[in-house]
Amino acid sequence: MLQVREVSHSYGNRNWLDRSGSRPVLENISLTMDKGSCYGLLGTSGAGKSTLGKIILGIEKPSKGEVWFEGKNLYHSSRKLLKEWRRDLQVVFQDCYSAVNPLMTAAQIIGEPLRNFERYSPKELQRRIGILLEQVGLRPEDERKYPHQFSGGQLQRVNIARAIALKPKLIVLDESVSSLDMVHQTQILSLLADLRTHYGLSYLFITHDIRAATAICDHIAVMDQGSLVYQGGDRESLIQCAHPAVKQLVSSILPEHPSERIVLN
Amino acid sequence: MINKWRAVFRGQKAIQICSAVVLFFFIVMLLAPWIAPHDPVKVNLLEKLDGPSVEHWLGTDHLGRDNLSRLIYGARISIGFAALIFLSSLIIGVVVGSVSGYVGGWVDSLLMRLCEGIMAFPNLVLVLGIVGIFGPGLMQVLLALMMVQWVYYARVCRNMVVSLRERNFITAARISGSSSWSIIRRHIIPNVQRPIVVMGTLEMGWAIMDISALSFLGLGIQPPNAEWGAMIHEGTSYMRSHPELMIYPGLLILAVVITFNILGEALSERFGVAKR
Repeated sequence: MLQVREVSHSYGNRNWLDRSGSRPVLENISLTMDKGSCYGLLGTSGAGKSTLGKIILGIEKPSKGEVWFEGKNLYHSSRKLLKEWRRDLQVVFQDCYSAVNPLMTAAQIIGEPLRNFERYSPKELQRRIGILLEQVGLRPEDERKYPHQFSGGQLQRVNIARAIALKPKLIVLDESVSSLDMVHQTQILSLLADLRTHYGLSYLFITHDIRAATAICDHIAVMDQGSLVYQGGDRESLIQCAHPAVKQLVSSILPEHPSERIVLN
Repeated sequence: MINKWRAVFRGQKAIQICSAVVLFFFIVMLLAPWIAPHDPVKVNLLEKLDGPSVEHWLGTDHLGRDNLSRLIYGARISIGFAALIFLSSLIIGVVVGSVSGYVGGWVDSLLMRLCEGIMAFPNLVLVLGIVGIFGPGLMQVLLALMMVQWVYYARVCRNMVVSLRERNFITAARISGSSSWSIIRRHIIPNVQRPIVVMGTLEMGWAIMDISALSFLGLGIQPPNAEWGAMIHEGTSYMRSHPELMIYPGLLILAVVITFNILGEALSERFGVAKR
């Protein structure tokens, strides 16, 4: 469904008077995602995970390489097709508070993608928003609330409702559960798993938390300093992997019993 | 929207009182033809420089025109045109600032260097220059003030937009398929609204001062029309014998400007906006 082909990216200086200081963040990344899969992208902060996420979402043109989505090149498409892709590619960010306009109600937040693509009457729109809120485990009455009236976990549910509003094909979950406490993390993860089966979604699950990734992902890739250092299927082979970046991630899991902790070297 | 602004007033004495005063001046301004007891430009040399009487509550000026009526009509120019300058420069400034901050790149550099160019001159010098080229008159003053005022809104707005642009909800809106224009309209402008209102209120006081100052210098409104600054100017010749001709309009300018300043300060405190 989605193919990333030899993508490299660097952030340059935005100032047109001074283009120096361009800094590579991604080097020669290739990966393939199947329909309905959940792809875990692991790595420490600054490894380039979020940049890769943005490139896959179609909002950051890579300096080199191509992204193919459903047989078409994402960055060589007509405006119309690009707009159509906005339906299929959605995102849920880590910081749920900065991901919503503080002056909008939940209904306005969730309604934004719907208003952009669907021609609903106000009544239909409200009904649809109510259904979406219930699907993410909130009450339809919550639509009148402003972001500051929600807790972090609830607001993340609003963000998820916005992401699924257009029935997308792929959702990039950019550290979506990392800022929540354990109880809410588990709840949101199981909500995401339910939605995936309900809508036939694919996830690109960006995280630094191996446990969260292994809990819901069927493919795992590890990034380190802009390149992919590991791609594989199951938890066991990940733990066996000898690359230092992978080892570092694996050793950072707190074990159930302190003595079992995997020590570096 | 209305509820949000209503919440701004609740329990805020300074904002309530100042808004009431501003509202009073605006009503007087709009209803001037019905409120004013006399024609403000009608000369009656038999009654010149009269003191207060039942017929003329605040007396008459050196041409026998009714002071109260001239003050009421003067409000139309002083406050009305200040409001016009305020609104037009606000709209230009917010649009330019939003576009500049949102689009970025060379557009941003170009627009901001233009703003800096205008800001580099003292305002009044630039206005005097423009009026000098096009000749005195209210329209010229209006245009000149507009041309120098919008840059302040544009600067503030642009900097706020740049910091907003980094927030995830703008990215999320793009991913939701919103066009740049609807992002500016739905997300950016509502979020810059409050600081801009505060700034605008403070600028309004300055605009009144500027118009009065230019009219005092004889560059704005032309006789026989009434305007507070022009009235002070006309009163200077009679300063010794009839100081009230200068005191009345002077006090009004003072009152209105102070009201706008207090209102601006109170609003900025209410919204928690850092002062310029």
